[in-house]
Amino acid sequence: MFKQTSAITLMNLRSLPQRAGMSLATVLSIALVVGVLLGFLAMANGFQKTIDGTGSEDVAVILRGGSQFELNSVLSADQFRIIETAPGIAADADGQPLVSAELYVVVDGIKKDLGTEANLPMRGVGLQAPSLRGQFELTAGRMFEPGSNEIIVGEAVLDAFEGFALNQTIRLGTNDWQVVGLFSTGGTVFESELWADIGVVQNLYQRGSSLQSIRARLTSPDAITELEAFADNDPRINELDIFNEQEFYASQSGTLTTVINAVGWPLAIIMAIGAFAGAWNAMYSSVDARMREIATLRAIGFSGGAAAMGTLIESLVLAAVGGLLGAVGTYLLFNGASASTLGSGFTQVVFAFAVTGDSILAGMIMAVMIGFLGGIVPAIRSAYVPLLTVHRSE
Amino acid sequence: MNDLTLIRKNLFRKKLRAILLTLSILIAFFIFTIIGSFNRVLNAGVELAAADRLITMNNSGFTQSLPYAYWGRIQAIEGVRNVSHMSWFGGYYQQPTQVVQTFAVDPETYLAAYPEFLMPDDQRAAFLTQRDCLLVGETLALQYGWSVGDRVPLLSNIWQKTDGSSSWEFDICAIYTASVPEMSTAAAYLNYDYYNEALAFNQDRVGMMVVNTDDPMANDAIANQIDAMFANSTAQTDTATEAAFTQAFINQIGNIGLILVYIIGAAFGIILLIVGTSLVVAISERTREIAVMKTLGFPAPRIFRMVLIESVMLSLVGGLAGVGLATLVLKGLAPVLAAFMPGLVVTPGIFGMALAMMIGFGLITGIGPAMNAHRVRIVDALGKQ
Amino acid sequence: MTSLYTLTDLSKGYTRGKESITIFEELTMTIPEGDFMAIMGPSGSGKTTLLNLLGGIDRPTSGSVECQGVRVDKLSEGKLAKWRSQNVGFIFQFYNLMPTLTAAQNVELPLLLTGLSGKQRKERVATALDIVGLADRKGHRPRQLSGGQQQRVAIARAIVADPKVLLCDEPTGDLDRKSADEILETLQLLNTDLGKTIVMVTHDPSAAKYARRELHLDKGRFVEQVQEPAQ
Repeated sequence: MFKQTSAITLMNLRSLPQRAGMSLATVLSIALVVGVLLGFLAMANGFQKTIDGTGSEDVAVILRGGSQFELNSVLSADQFRIIETAPGIAADADGQPLVSAELYVVVDGIKKDLGTEANLPMRGVGLQAPSLRGQFELTAGRMFEPGSNEIIVGEAVLDAFEGFALNQTIRLGTNDWQVVGLFSTGGTVFESELWADIGVVQNLYQRGSSLQSIRARLTSPDAITELEAFADNDPRINELDIFNEQEFYASQSGTLTTVINAVGWPLAIIMAIGAFAGAWNAMYSSVDARMREIATLRAIGFSGGAAAMGTLIESLVLAAVGGLLGAVGTYLLFNGASASTLGSGFTQVVFAFAVTGDSILAGMIMAVMIGFLGGIVPAIRSAYVPLLTVHRSE
Repeated sequence: MNDLTLIRKNLFRKKLRAILLTLSILIAFFIFTIIGSFNRVLNAGVELAAADRLITMNNSGFTQSLPYAYWGRIQAIEGVRNVSHMSWFGGYYQQPTQVVQTFAVDPETYLAAYPEFLMPDDQRAAFLTQRDCLLVGETLALQYGWSVGDRVPLLSNIWQKTDGSSSWEFDICAIYTASVPEMSTAAAYLNYDYYNEALAFNQDRVGMMVVNTDDPMANDAIANQIDAMFANSTAQTDTATEAAFTQAFINQIGNIGLILVYIIGAAFGIILLIVGTSLVVAISERTREIAVMKTLGFPAPRIFRMVLIESVMLSLVGGLAGVGLATLVLKGLAPVLAAFMPGLVVTPGIFGMALAMMIGFGLITGIGPAMNAHRVRIVDALGKQ
Repeated sequence: MTSLYTLTDLSKGYTRGKESITIFEELTMTIPEGDFMAIMGPSGSGKTTLLNLLGGIDRPTSGSVECQGVRVDKLSEGKLAKWRSQNVGFIFQFYNLMPTLTAAQNVELPLLLTGLSGKQRKERVATALDIVGLADRKGHRPRQLSGGQQQRVAIARAIVADPKVLLCDEPTGDLDRKSADEILETLQLLNTDLGKTIVMVTHDPSAAKYARRELHLDKGRFVEQVQEPAQ
């Protein structure tokens, strides 16, 4: 059986060039289906990866109670000074607590792909801020000078928005800013931000001495309970929400990823039905074209099962080639491509499309399923080719 | 019998092939119709934007508010018919995940600015006069089972009252529907004065202004005049037409247009490949019959036309089925998605576009086989056994 | 008898690669109206080619084909198609019926090229099927008919538009003796009773016996044998 099958399969595959048109159409249409699926998955995975990579579990994010997002929160300088004395917070080499007061405003940047305005977050920070982001690295230039109109720019912003090159002056709203440095944080959401001195931001945006969020490096992830207990019991500070930074970001990625998956999968499956119809049609024609050949083989003793397997394998090979082509094509076209969308904080999150191994596997499974379903009926048909076809003239 | 009989018989000669091709065409047009309808609703804000409405925001970004006093100053500009303002309330009901899009507005000028809001006269009067009234959209009311007369608390994730609480009590005194199906009725509106006087901070500020002009032709001039008026203030403004404002917001989500082009391109790429090659094969199988037709005296252009009509018919059969299926599916989805995608239907515009694409697709896939049929040489084709 | 066809210095050849091959050269002959002529000869002698030239589905290399004052070889493709539909009926060895159409629809096919109304077409189809004796099979598809019946449908199709000449290429080549005789008798009837001029290519001597005369084509030359029609 195996020998028969492989003999017939080889014969089929060798005769493929004679049916080049339809075979190629099958391969390419399956490639397109897989391409669409992988494109969506790459988008979802890329976004998810950016959000998931953001935040460390030993950093606490402190917001005003009930505010949910940094943008909604307002905290006072007094609250900050009290938090600085709280237990469970780690200190730097000089014994200073690792706490950062931050104020986050939204400015308009010009997106490169559409040429239209989009919300960019500008974060007013103190000099402690970098030490609260694990992988912070100044990749070019220098840190801003406190008290000056200087900004440092996340590398993702540089990729996706116009006018943020090093040493450039950029007008945001009514103010001019000098780009003095570029920074990376290892592909996290922070790379989609502009950082400036918090004092300057408070002044230019009329926020007095108020801030929005406090980040604190904890002595250990569990120390967050000490911090919470402290905040609850101190009558001088109003109600606060204290989050584990990692969970804070993870909770924000849900919707978009769900939407992308909810659109991408059904779309790919519906398209797969179209490609399946194409594969079936092509395999049907293939059996048609090989009628006499199959009948001849059957006449000289090959089994119907072997003929069927030969047809099915031809279909699977075409589908697998299509799937691979789609995966390679998507990888070359989209992997690493930068895109940005509105994150949950109403500001742009820049992310890179990520074609992952898992999604390629999913794409290949889909391709092979199309091949199997499209090939199965023609395969059965080829097992029952009447032997007398051997005498047919046409 | 006429040419159409011949065409129809040829089309369905191999039933399985005809069904499979129809199915694949159906799917492409199904996708086209669904995506086209979603895209239309997504962009409806731009198309439905009233020509006479301008939006004025703080030019430092949407998180920055404007002084309440600007309201009166803009009203004084000549050519301005009505000015209203709205402030984002950041509301939620019971728990933070149950977000309610809530805006604090000046009721009278707001309803004047947006005649799309429809409600019974007594409810309208209540919204205009009752300070703690909450005007609720039909979809939203349905979502939480609210009806006129209910008292509901809304919490704000931004604002606090002087007493430290974030909860505002409201009396649902009006429920609105929209005069255009594409307008969302999933939002709630409250009286600015009621909200403002309880605010612990940021009092006497508004989120943005809505300006109605007397004459859309004067929009640019008035927008410039507004922005110039506040050019030397601490809060400078940026005024744009409602359409431009809405478009800018859509663009923030991403390059949706490009994604849609990719999807529809892929869907049609698939059927172009499948149907195109199948028709070439189908016609080449009929070479001999075409030669006989020519021998009988059928002129080549007539045969060319028949093959082309055949491919257009195939495209129409599959395409119309696809649009029909999409219409049914959208009918089922529309109530479910009313909050995010109001007015989800297949419009005559989308249908017309789909129809044009069916004919175009039929011509594109048919032209090659039709030319092959035109070229069939009787002597060669009949000589082949 | 007036002549229907006049062939003058008719030559036909083709090139295969660099080689040019002559099928026949400088044939001159006339075919009178009302003739029933059998053309015989070995394979490759140019029988079918000659028939194609008479039917206006192939063009000569040189020389002329004239049919009732019309230079068939000079007509444009479009005019030629029209000329064929009005003047010539074809009958092939393998019937060449449309598999998707019923017998009646197959017969009706050439009438789509006329201005006849649906009712007129229906009458003509019925008459033609009557003549070939298949009136009771009009709703059948070719696949449901025997070879002889299919060929009779083909004859009905050939005569339905009332052409002057019937060109038959091995009309009995794929049939058993009995069916073949029936077909040949029908052809003979069409010749004697309806006055159709018939040119029939065959390599079957007993088929040729039904014709008024036999023409042998060999190496591009004619050898004529006249005979009385068989009864």
